[in-house]
Amino acid sequence: MVAGTSHLLVEGLGPAFLDGALAIWIERLLNGLTVGVGYVLVAAGLSVIFGVMHVINFAHGELYALGAFFALAVVGTLTPIFGGGIAFVAALLIAPLLVGLVGMAMERFTIQPLYGRNPLYHILLTFGFVIVITDLIKIIWGTANRPPIPRPDVITGPISILGTTVNTYSLFTLAFGGVLTVCVWALLEHTRFGLIVRAGSQDRQMIKNLGIDIDHYYSLVFGLGAALAAIAGIILAGERGVSPGMGGNIIIPAFVIVVLGGLGSFKGAAIGGLFVGVLEESILKVFFSEIAGMVIFFLMIGVLMVRPQGLFGTELEEGGGELLTGRGGGFLADGTRFKLGLAMVALLAVLPLLAGSVFSTYYVTLLVRILLWALFALSLDFVMGYTGLVSLGHVLFWGLGAYVTSVVLVHATASAFVALAIALALGALVAWVVGYFSIRVHGVYFAMITLAFAELFYRLVQDVDAALGWELTGGSDGLFGISSYYGIGGVGIELDEIALFVGPFSLTGTELFFYIALGALVAAFLITRRMLQSPFGSVLVAIRENEERARFLGYDPTVYKRRAFVVSGVFATLAGSLFVFEQGFVTPGSVHWLKSGELIVMVLLGGMGTLFGPILGAFAFFGLEEALIEYTDRWQLVLGTIFILFVIFLPRGLVSLPEKLASLVSERGSNEPEPEPTADIRPGEDD
Amino acid sequence: MSADPMLSLSHVDAGYGETGILTDVSLDVGEGEVVSLVGRNGAGKTTTLRSIVGIVEPTAGSIEYRGDAITGLDAVDTAKRGIALVPEERRIFPELTVRENLELAAYGGATDADGLSIDAVLDTFENLADRTDNDGASLSGGEQQMLTIGRALVSGADCILLDEPTEGLAPYIVQDVMNAVRDLNERGITVLLVEQNVHVALELADRNYVLDRGEIVWEGGSSELEADEDVLDRYLGVSL
Repeated sequence: MVAGTSHLLVEGLGPAFLDGALAIWIERLLNGLTVGVGYVLVAAGLSVIFGVMHVINFAHGELYALGAFFALAVVGTLTPIFGGGIAFVAALLIAPLLVGLVGMAMERFTIQPLYGRNPLYHILLTFGFVIVITDLIKIIWGTANRPPIPRPDVITGPISILGTTVNTYSLFTLAFGGVLTVCVWALLEHTRFGLIVRAGSQDRQMIKNLGIDIDHYYSLVFGLGAALAAIAGIILAGERGVSPGMGGNIIIPAFVIVVLGGLGSFKGAAIGGLFVGVLEESILKVFFSEIAGMVIFFLMIGVLMVRPQGLFGTELEEGGGELLTGRGGGFLADGTRFKLGLAMVALLAVLPLLAGSVFSTYYVTLLVRILLWALFALSLDFVMGYTGLVSLGHVLFWGLGAYVTSVVLVHATASAFVALAIALALGALVAWVVGYFSIRVHGVYFAMITLAFAELFYRLVQDVDAALGWELTGGSDGLFGISSYYGIGGVGIELDEIALFVGPFSLTGTELFFYIALGALVAAFLITRRMLQSPFGSVLVAIRENEERARFLGYDPTVYKRRAFVVSGVFATLAGSLFVFEQGFVTPGSVHWLKSGELIVMVLLGGMGTLFGPILGAFAFFGLEEALIEYTDRWQLVLGTIFILFVIFLPRGLVSLPEKLASLVSERGSNEPEPEPTADIRPGEDD
Repeated sequence: MSADPMLSLSHVDAGYGETGILTDVSLDVGEGEVVSLVGRNGAGKTTTLRSIVGIVEPTAGSIEYRGDAITGLDAVDTAKRGIALVPEERRIFPELTVRENLELAAYGGATDADGLSIDAVLDTFENLADRTDNDGASLSGGEQQMLTIGRALVSGADCILLDEPTEGLAPYIVQDVMNAVRDLNERGITVLLVEQNVHVALELADRNYVLDRGEIVWEGGSSELEADEDVLDRYLGVSL
């Protein structure tokens, strides 16, 4: 699962005392444990941060990468002066310290203002940091992959132990990581700091009632977690090399481990890290290399279903602040908004006519992309904004639509209608199955299980060819040059062959497709809106507001949520499918988890729970990207920063901006954010 | 009651969000007193305690402790000044041992005073002494209540706010809890006791306040309350 894992051990020189098979097993085990130690350090920080602050730190992988890059800089600077040995040791001290400070600053200035809000906002905020830190790394150190951090000679090269030859660096990693893990464990179990941190993870309000200012400890815990990630980054980069993408590669296994071991459990992270390291490196990659990447996600899904709190975790208290929707943030009456929406659609409808003359046809392609993402964002809003299900794996359905369509078009028939029908049917089926397994778990666990399903699919499309032995999905390259016709049984039209003349204007294939995309979006909007106005929609909202009460009224929340999830899944599949008709290719990149993150960004940017908000969000996201690219290569940095500010200051999204401005203007000085329910006052405790 | 009360609420309004719970609540607790706050479910008793320690911020009125305004201070600050809240749900840290629960309270608590040592507390509550290494979650309701009182003792608090300490406990354990409260008071600790069980309140308290729909409707000594059948019936729904 981590790309390019090198062999950490030199091939055995031949057994003197041990029998050959055993020597090979020792070597494999050492490989697994070495990777496992890195996992332990990353997962431990992630888990403790979650346990204490209930923050899922998506940026943890970036802190890991930052550790490696800082170390590279320290080694580069100090080696000429002090020599490699001292420089490496210094890097092991200085880099984690720096990353720890970065982590503390992150917590203090951006995460702390969000305590008491729904955990979703932490996910979103740290996702913003993923974008920002990745881009910063690229600005400072460039985009190239770099060789491993130079290590002192003492800990490199082979060494012979008990007749089997092992890599000294593996032993160093094991010893260093092991000692560090024990130290952290001792810190948590046997110091005042640890006692307070553990207590804080169990009951935040009570620890304040005891007169202990837990807020100060939060920054320290975050810094500690960040420093551990940095150390993992350094020791693994001493073997594997350093690259800007290394953070994105480690975060998913880290999540798997944290879920297996139990969110919030240090012991779980330690055992889970070693287990996953050994499972992947020593067993799966050796014996089942075709499906190695998928197994751990099955494991993750299984654990989440059977025991969501993981092997060593304890069940979390529910909730912690509601999701802030953009509802009621409108400054216009419904009627006015309807007219405005109509005007927008009308305006969009004439745009293609002007393409080529007034502006470049490039913008039509861009608009098609935006319209499809708007449809995708709308689909997520339908479940997230109206039932409170935060799906971190919605890219699964987009990817499913794209891949099924492509596979049908390439291998079966070029009929767009057939491909679309099959894609939508499969989309509905998969949404039902995923919903069936996922909706029984709540909150953070739901987010994690949907992420696991999406990652499973991400691995599947890459590995299925090798596993089957014939080309279906094109492996890690994907499928290209996909063409289709609109018809069935060989009778139909290809858009590219048409040039439609409307008065003085001509419409080409892409421009015609624009109308299909626009039609799909408008139809999806009208259908979902109609559904929400029906009794079905009222039940969904009732469930989101208070699931228990809805249940007492005789509505089974699971059934309603699952139906909503299927509707959402079908629209997302439609968006992904249409994407292929337009684009003519599909790659595994379409299913990467970062896309799910970007999707949530759009929904939140526009305003969750409004249906039209996410559409605005998609336009704003791509519009901003387009505008920024004009001026800077580092548009992601700006976009990420804007997004972080949105999460902190405008969580209800763009649709709430007019209201926010109005209240700022009318009430001088009262720029307090709207009162948000705090997690500290738990429901059901009134006298 | 002495001239200067230790804890004093004047005209306090408080609530959650836009819902007001308390209206114009004024009450005084003198140093060394046991004062009870009784009333029906939903009368605002817990909200009163939460306003004092700063979990809920009053929207009007003021709260003074030892002559200093503490209105709007947060829970950490009020605890450091020596006010300890023992919440209704007890809030024992479930995965910490009995000893760790006590150690934690000793780290926090009043900054100006040392509380009892952990060993002294364990001497007082014998059944806890047998279970020092057990997790909080494994304790019975009565043991948990003893532990919450023990926590308040090691924290060095001068004023303890007890929220329904006898709720859900078997009658013979209620007696133990009452003895523990008397013990607290004999050590010079001031107690503000919220109770639904009027019998417990009458037996322990020097003075009583009756709260109804967020307002103080009656105050007086225990014998007076015992005699006032009208108040007992109208606001507390009990007849003795």
